[in-house]
Amino acid sequence: MTGTGRAIGEHDTREHEIGANETDEQFRARLREFLSTHSPGPRPRDPGERVRWTKAWHATLVDNGYAGPSWPREYGGMDLSFRRQIIYQEEIARARVPGPLGTGLGIVAPTIIKYGTEEQKRRWLRPMLRGDVVWCQGYSEPGAGSDLPSLRTTARRDGEEYVVNGQKVWTSSGTLADMLFCLVRTGSPESRQKGITYLIIDAHAPGVTIRPLRDLTGSAVFAEVFFDDVRVPVANRIGEENEGWPLARTSLGHERSAGAMNQAASYRRVLNELIDLAHERGLTDDPLVCDRLVEFEMRVRLIRYNAERTVSDILTKGEPGAASSVSRLLIAAFEQDLHEFAVDMLGPDGIVAAPAEDAVQRGRWLKGFLMTRASTIGAGTAEIQRNTVAEQVLRLPYDPAMPPR
Amino acid sequence: MDREHEELREVVRRYLAEKSDLSGMRKLVQTGRFRDEAVWSQLARQLMAQGIAVPESYGGAGYGPVELSIVLEEMGRSLVVSPYFATVALAGQLLTASADAAARQAWLPGIADGSVTATVAIGDATGEIAADAVTTVATRAPDGWRLTGRKRFVIDGTTADLLVVAALADGEPALFTVEGAAEGVRRAPLPNLDPTRPLATVELDGAAAHRLADDAADLLPRFADLAVTALAAEQAGGAAAALEMAVDYARVRVQFDRPIGSFQAIKHRCADLLLEVESARNAVHAAASLLAERDPEGSLAAALAAAWAGRAYTRVAKENIQIHGGIGFTWEHDAHFYLKRAKTSEMLLGTTGSHRARLGALAGIRGAR
Repeated sequence: MTGTGRAIGEHDTREHEIGANETDEQFRARLREFLSTHSPGPRPRDPGERVRWTKAWHATLVDNGYAGPSWPREYGGMDLSFRRQIIYQEEIARARVPGPLGTGLGIVAPTIIKYGTEEQKRRWLRPMLRGDVVWCQGYSEPGAGSDLPSLRTTARRDGEEYVVNGQKVWTSSGTLADMLFCLVRTGSPESRQKGITYLIIDAHAPGVTIRPLRDLTGSAVFAEVFFDDVRVPVANRIGEENEGWPLARTSLGHERSAGAMNQAASYRRVLNELIDLAHERGLTDDPLVCDRLVEFEMRVRLIRYNAERTVSDILTKGEPGAASSVSRLLIAAFEQDLHEFAVDMLGPDGIVAAPAEDAVQRGRWLKGFLMTRASTIGAGTAEIQRNTVAEQVLRLPYDPAMPPR
Repeated sequence: MDREHEELREVVRRYLAEKSDLSGMRKLVQTGRFRDEAVWSQLARQLMAQGIAVPESYGGAGYGPVELSIVLEEMGRSLVVSPYFATVALAGQLLTASADAAARQAWLPGIADGSVTATVAIGDATGEIAADAVTTVATRAPDGWRLTGRKRFVIDGTTADLLVVAALADGEPALFTVEGAAEGVRRAPLPNLDPTRPLATVELDGAAAHRLADDAADLLPRFADLAVTALAAEQAGGAAAALEMAVDYARVRVQFDRPIGSFQAIKHRCADLLLEVESARNAVHAAASLLAERDPEGSLAAALAAAWAGRAYTRVAKENIQIHGGIGFTWEHDAHFYLKRAKTSEMLLGTTGSHRARLGALAGIRGAR
């Protein structure tokens, strides 16, 4: 689901008050100045310290009017035009300041902004933006991954409350969660998308258990969430009962596309670091290594061209075209292949892991090789992505054996 | 992309769909002709296509690589049998970039109005556009120069009115114009994989030539970028059309009581091919835009477009046949023409491998050359 129903150019008439008449470049300069004078300083090593440091930074951004580039201003956002959102993303990436905790800003916030009640918006949005309250996602379940509409966590209505039972999994940063935005079943077990409700659940409520989920890399960036007779006020429901499914994929304008350029820039950096490493170790004397590096050089540029084309499609046509739908597949394959190649290129040294002193660059490539297994799984597997591209861009027919979508 | 560009694309696409589609291609191939006379003159008069990248002062439209790449993408889609590529994308762009005002005045108006066909012959043995691939020798004569050598892989070389030829003058590469009908020029078709685009071997035996007032070492790299980007545009268009052909068939071909396009084995393959095609088109657009702006990144982008579009086209053309199954293996079906054009184009004006090597060198990947 894309588009806010208004043309891109319409934003341009009502920019930030501070710079009502400033040009894009003046806006960039003002933002850059702010980011450098208010820099949060070096990243603390202690995890608890790091959380406080991150929260403080986001509070600073909100309090000075530099947060929520795509959000309406009444909830603490900046309501920037698409062009300025890109500038914003570029400057944030350049400043290397910490990103938000949890996954609320990109996923549930647009849903609340578009479909929440006035009371919900007032209660939830600003504290989320400031980082005072960390929001995490409860969509996937052990039995509902690619086939998310088969989810089985139930919410039974009991007066002015729902009683929630079930289990969610793959909740990013789940152990930090204050609030959980969840898809739950309010219809019959067979109701699929027609029986799903969008519910906001207090992560500290009785009956909620959050356990870190150790993944194949050995760390635990995800969590499992268990609900055991958790009572949730009906006022925490977004939209109507059984009408939560279409809300789950809401985005604000084209904010995701505005981030695509940054992703391209950050992979450019990673590839440069790998090429430097290859040179340092004398590996570019090997024509096979060089040819692989050339392959990645092409792909990293193609990722950037693709991001540029998405942006230009949005600016000229109002919609991202085919370019945006292929970008995730391009990037996922790129980062997997790149990290695996780095390990291969290093030979036996490639498998030496931290804390070994001679682990190359503290084992980052090896860790990346493992970590990027998730690139083609999380947020929709590459297989599902390919179905989507084939069906929505190429208009190939649906699989008649699959349930209707 | 600009609205004007979209309109240009629409106009060319509509024209070719009506006047020069795949059935037209097949007729020309079967009768051994190198162009459809009516199409050639309508392209020149109605669409001003031959003059698209020729300066207005020589009767052209005064556009550049971006607009040319749009026309070529469309021609690549329809596999147009025509000396357009050789005349406009090769000789036309080379002469436009030349500093030789007399040569520009002599040839560009004819190219722009469609009265002249032309081509280039640079690398002797391979057709690569590189100064170090030139072996033909130029010697001085009282009234100009005489060229001796053997140029292979000359696109539309048997019919071109004009050849722009690279030769060594006093050991240094230089560029010359040679008239196709001149004495000492022997031209023979070079039988090859692609029936839709004639290639020739041109024997020069003391052929009279005019030397262009250019430093070939300067001009050739710029021209190489323009030429391989133009070819990549054609390749990207062909790849897009071959994918459309596959997808159209997968939608309607029923097996096991369902369209084969509803099977993931087909669907996923098509999605992967779309990635190839979109990447190729993006790369061409980036290269053409950077070259038009004379951005220093242009050479690298041109090498990338050439390397990617060539390989992508061949991959899509192969998969198109596979998705069609048995019918795709018949002569009667058009799928094979895309494969033949694709694989052949990968070898023209440099190979996928040579473009990759150039890209590596330009990107600072040491040892990549």
